[in-house]
Amino acid sequence: MRRAGWLGLGVIVVAAPWLVAAAVPRQQRYVLHVLIFTALFAALALSYDLVVGHVGSLSLAHPAFFGVGAYAAAILATRAGWPFLAGLPAAALAAAGVAALVGVPLFRLTEHAFAVGTLGLALVASVVANNWVEVTRGPLCITGIPKPTLGPLAVTTLPAFYWLALAALVAVGVLYRGLTTFRLGRAFHAVRDNEPLAGAAGIDPLKYRMLAFTIAAALAGGIGALYVHYLSVMCPEEMTVALTVNLLVIVFLGGVGSLRGVLVGAVLFTALPEVLRLAPTWRLVIYGGLLLLVIVRSPEGIESLLRRVTGARAGR
Amino acid sequence: MTALLEVRGLVKRFLGVTAVDEVDLAVEPGELVSLIGPNGSGKTTLFNCVTGYLAADGGRVLFRGRDLSNAPPHRVARLGVARTFQQVSVFPRLSALENLLVFLQQLQEEHLLARLVRTKRVRRLEAEAVERARRLLGLVGLSAKADDAAGSLSYGQRKLLAFAGALMPDPELLLLDEPAAAVNPTMINQMKDHILALHREGKTVVLVEHNMDVVMDISQRVVVLDHGQKIAEGPPEAIRQDPRVIEAYFGR
Repeated sequence: MRRAGWLGLGVIVVAAPWLVAAAVPRQQRYVLHVLIFTALFAALALSYDLVVGHVGSLSLAHPAFFGVGAYAAAILATRAGWPFLAGLPAAALAAAGVAALVGVPLFRLTEHAFAVGTLGLALVASVVANNWVEVTRGPLCITGIPKPTLGPLAVTTLPAFYWLALAALVAVGVLYRGLTTFRLGRAFHAVRDNEPLAGAAGIDPLKYRMLAFTIAAALAGGIGALYVHYLSVMCPEEMTVALTVNLLVIVFLGGVGSLRGVLVGAVLFTALPEVLRLAPTWRLVIYGGLLLLVIVRSPEGIESLLRRVTGARAGR
Repeated sequence: MTALLEVRGLVKRFLGVTAVDEVDLAVEPGELVSLIGPNGSGKTTLFNCVTGYLAADGGRVLFRGRDLSNAPPHRVARLGVARTFQQVSVFPRLSALENLLVFLQQLQEEHLLARLVRTKRVRRLEAEAVERARRLLGLVGLSAKADDAAGSLSYGQRKLLAFAGALMPDPELLLLDEPAAAVNPTMINQMKDHILALHREGKTVVLVEHNMDVVMDISQRVVVLDHGQKIAEGPPEAIRQDPRVIEAYFGR
């Protein structure tokens, strides 16, 4: 029964482009665009949750890693003519490199100081993107980034890109699952729950924090590459603190440290503002009200709400 | 016979206060030694220096002849030194079973990729760890709580869980920081039995404890600290009558 439910959901998600074409033929492009954004945001939020939810470090630097990957891919594609499949790993590596470099000094800071330190990194990255005009073209943006090609396959249509984004989300989800369960997950959670005791258990806390931080950065960089190849333009505004706020909303209102929670959060808080465009005047008011409602009714996120509902059903 | 643990001239200062002052301590394999002294006499600080939680300002710590002086906690743990904490310490969001698994897995293997893809070897080691963890949960009477979050257990249960965690890797040396503090008399007796059982198995145990009945009952040797200095050392009967010890505890 449950398996059938998941299978059904999978079929619907994969078949979404056709369903959209059948249901809202006039708005097909717009709806697909929202779905692509949702998939990319969900993947980005999962990568973010590796750090925030699983090793318990409130990093605010995620836009910097996303931006480094996005710019690396954009520059390699437009100036060096690198194909997408070469630019993607390069973008991930570039972001991971930055994370590895700044991670060690940042993790010397604890809790709030760490958050402020990572916020500093995000701000510096944003300033560099705006002002290092020779490389990033600053506010002029890097334009003309080609559509991605996978060998002989050119991803030019919206449905094709939707499937590419979906594949990326699945890949990130599988990796997320592998990293956060079993022995690796247990080591991450031990560091999150009680760092001194983790040391007594033979765990090097810095090593596991760095591992989560670097992998999360690599994923964010890769998603950045996908993002710019989709939009074909990269501007400094794509990596501001506003992105952190979106990620925080998705992760904390969805369900920190939970695959399902983060996915639900991403769908709700990426698609919802778009759906609310139907009532443009009240859009942000309704959105804000819903955020408040979730926080008040279920401070641990929608995931805990879902768990209560399904738990209650199983109990009966 | 060489000592299993040897502390030589250990010094630790906090802002001009000398918390541990030139302390020497040698623990032979299989010994059960208690470290006592009034509050603030430097017992826990000594533990923290030995296990890498604090950097000593002077002196050396040797474990099986290896210098531990600059080793971080995780390295000390991997060499076979287990410790518990005075403040009851568990991983609150992990289940009781997982709390124990954490303590063995890092010593069994730490291959990131093998863990990610769950190779046959890692799964076999995991199965062994689960078996041992269940046995230890049974030993401390927490079998029924195996799947409960450790944070939901009672104070005494968490204390037992932390104790079982320290036993998971089958350590050569156990440093127990006040295992009998703040628990009810039944549990104190239980703890005493557990520690004596370890001693019979040939484990080396160093105990920091305030409960004199426990200390005098089970220790082979007692070391007394006062103001960071070692003021007496000997078998329990001798320590009980030592005038310096009586003075340190009760004043002149």
